[in-house]
Amino acid sequence: MTTATTTPPASGPSTANRTRRTGRAPSDPKPLVGWLFIAPNLLGVLLFTFVPLVSVVLLSFTKWNLVSGLEGIEFVGIDNFLFVLQDPKFWRSLLITVVYAGVAVPLTLVVGLLLATALNRDVPGRALLRACFFIPYIVNVVAIGMTWMMLLDPSAGLLNQFLGNFGAESLPGWFASSRWALPALILVTIWAQAGYACLIYLSALQDAPEQLYEAARIDGAGRWRMFRAITWPSLLPTSVFLLITLFVGISQSFGMIALITNGGPGSSTTTLSFYMYQTSFQFYRFGYASAVGLVTFLGIFALMLVMWRLQRGRALHD
Amino acid sequence: MQSRSTPPPRRRRPVSLDSPITRRSLAGFVGATAATALAGCASQDTSKDLDTLQVWGGVPPENGPQALVDHFMEEHPDQKVVYTRFVNDDRGNLKVNTALQGGVDIDVFFTYDSSSLAMRSHSGMAADLGDLVRSTPKLEPFLDTTEPKALFDGETITALATTKEPNFLLFNESLRDEAGIELPSAWELEEYLEAVRSLTANGHYGTYKLPDLPRIALGPNYWYAGEGSNFEDPAFLRHFELTAQMIRDGEVFPWSQVLARQIEAYQQNNFIAGDFAIWGTAPFSLRFLNDSEQYPHDFLTACAPMPTIDGADWNSGVYGNHVQINAKSPKQELAQEFVKFWLLDGAADMAPGGKIPTLDNVDHEILLEAILGENMETYFDVESFRRTLFENDPKLLADTDLTAVAEITQAYEQQRDVCWLLERSPQRAIDTIHADADALIQRFRED
Repeated sequence: MTTATTTPPASGPSTANRTRRTGRAPSDPKPLVGWLFIAPNLLGVLLFTFVPLVSVVLLSFTKWNLVSGLEGIEFVGIDNFLFVLQDPKFWRSLLITVVYAGVAVPLTLVVGLLLATALNRDVPGRALLRACFFIPYIVNVVAIGMTWMMLLDPSAGLLNQFLGNFGAESLPGWFASSRWALPALILVTIWAQAGYACLIYLSALQDAPEQLYEAARIDGAGRWRMFRAITWPSLLPTSVFLLITLFVGISQSFGMIALITNGGPGSSTTTLSFYMYQTSFQFYRFGYASAVGLVTFLGIFALMLVMWRLQRGRALHD
Repeated sequence: MQSRSTPPPRRRRPVSLDSPITRRSLAGFVGATAATALAGCASQDTSKDLDTLQVWGGVPPENGPQALVDHFMEEHPDQKVVYTRFVNDDRGNLKVNTALQGGVDIDVFFTYDSSSLAMRSHSGMAADLGDLVRSTPKLEPFLDTTEPKALFDGETITALATTKEPNFLLFNESLRDEAGIELPSAWELEEYLEAVRSLTANGHYGTYKLPDLPRIALGPNYWYAGEGSNFEDPAFLRHFELTAQMIRDGEVFPWSQVLARQIEAYQQNNFIAGDFAIWGTAPFSLRFLNDSEQYPHDFLTACAPMPTIDGADWNSGVYGNHVQINAKSPKQELAQEFVKFWLLDGAADMAPGGKIPTLDNVDHEILLEAILGENMETYFDVESFRRTLFENDPKLLADTDLTAVAEITQAYEQQRDVCWLLERSPQRAIDTIHADADALIQRFRED
């Protein structure tokens, strides 16, 4: 046993400082070095996240069209928020967002889980299949949009030609129909995101406690019983993680909508994020767009909190 | 137990721990970074060169603006002008708007769409050109309020249109010959509709879409009436009903294909492919038809004027490419001199780019060749273009009421789309536009 390291040295300012390991001494360089390392990132977060966030909060109480300059900013109190409440376009966009994310996210999870379950077994070409299912997630949104626009063309698209071969007469207009555009968008979203959900589920499945399966098998449990009692509870934290990240991501989806439908036909695919874009960068109503953004942020944040609290205590590992 | 007299082996520490970094030096680093960033931001404002006029426009310099600028500098040897091109789309206009409010050195700028015109003019960004117009006799046509060529706000004039952009109807001559229809030099709406029906045949539609009939009937500011919107005018409902019916009858190109293939901006590929026989368009489309490499086709194209409606003969085309002077520019006098030069002497330089000047001060044959290209006889019935574009003197306009124009445009287009997809009745679509436009005008009238 050594005692030398715990015995304070005799005296002297430099040795005294060295004993204070908490890093609170004004002349201790270590925390400063740490700050220096994170300074570029911190500066980036401050400039590109914190400043815009504060700006949005401030702008939401103003009327501003950008072109009039900073001197053109007019304080309007809570007028923008009051108008949000009575703006039918906001409520319609909210409804479309809820339907879009509310349908696309659970279906993406289901498809992802089914794929993961299938690929978690010893199937020939498993690595290749995994890569194939993951590819849509990393493909550029422009390529996805163009491909699906061709596939779903109402007259020359492969899908409608296929349906036509079976004698279908009233074929869907897909992106060129206010009734079908949102379902078509949901279909493309699931196709693009399911690979990501599959990958995350796969890693979670491989972490599932094997001894519980063995015990269940000994007790005579069937596959469905094992899935309900072991697999699903062990996947619950992963599912909640996917639910939250996918919901936030899909409800803020912009690129695909801008590319394929531009919010239409009519306003059938104008989600809240696209409505914000229109209000700010097409109509230059930056104050009102900020209010819409803030309300949307608070709504999504509250929903995420609820989801998080609901799943607590239900996972197998808890 | 380790002896005190023997120093422990010295562990190698990270290099950075040995460096003499203190909070003061860190603060200095952050301060220097911030100062650099701020200096960078401020540099835009401090770089203003009072001897150089900065002009921003959407036309590529080689299509006329650079020659115009060079001629101006020849006549004004002590002045320097720099022309900067921006792409005239949403992103390009956002760049201009950001630059204008950020204090970038812009003295003269061009505005192409109504939404940007409204915003830049009503935000105090554009200087008053009224004195320039009133003190220059040759610019007197800009004071005309019946066929407006400028943007007025009371006595103030904030923008001057530099070009004429007439609309016209192009005929696929092969299909017209097949149908045995005469090329009209003037016609009423009913004659036009009859021609569309006659040209409809297996494999192609009569026309891409109908002309903007309410515009032909009502002229400038046709969306506005008094303190509200004008969509109660029967011309709007008739336009929607007629188009929907002709789409249903297979005479007008299906709107579902327009949306699915996103061809509302450009339809030259479909015209060349013979998808429709009549194509209502404007001069900018003609460059595709004299490019046999990119757009090969084997038929001649002829030109006919827009139909009139019960004597109303607005062409539906506009005076466009508005020039404006930055109200914050310290070079107002030089900027005005340049704007005057562009409108009066510079029009000839812009002609090779196919720009028809507002003041009609360039020889029509030069313009015709610029618009139709060198081998115009190969691709076009030149005489029909000469007659339609110049001899008929199409009656153009420029809107001066631009209240919530971007939002009303969106409301109009959304309802138009669902109506022409045959998913909503014309009456319901027009009622929705009317209600939306009234609400928007009421909300934004004071802006």
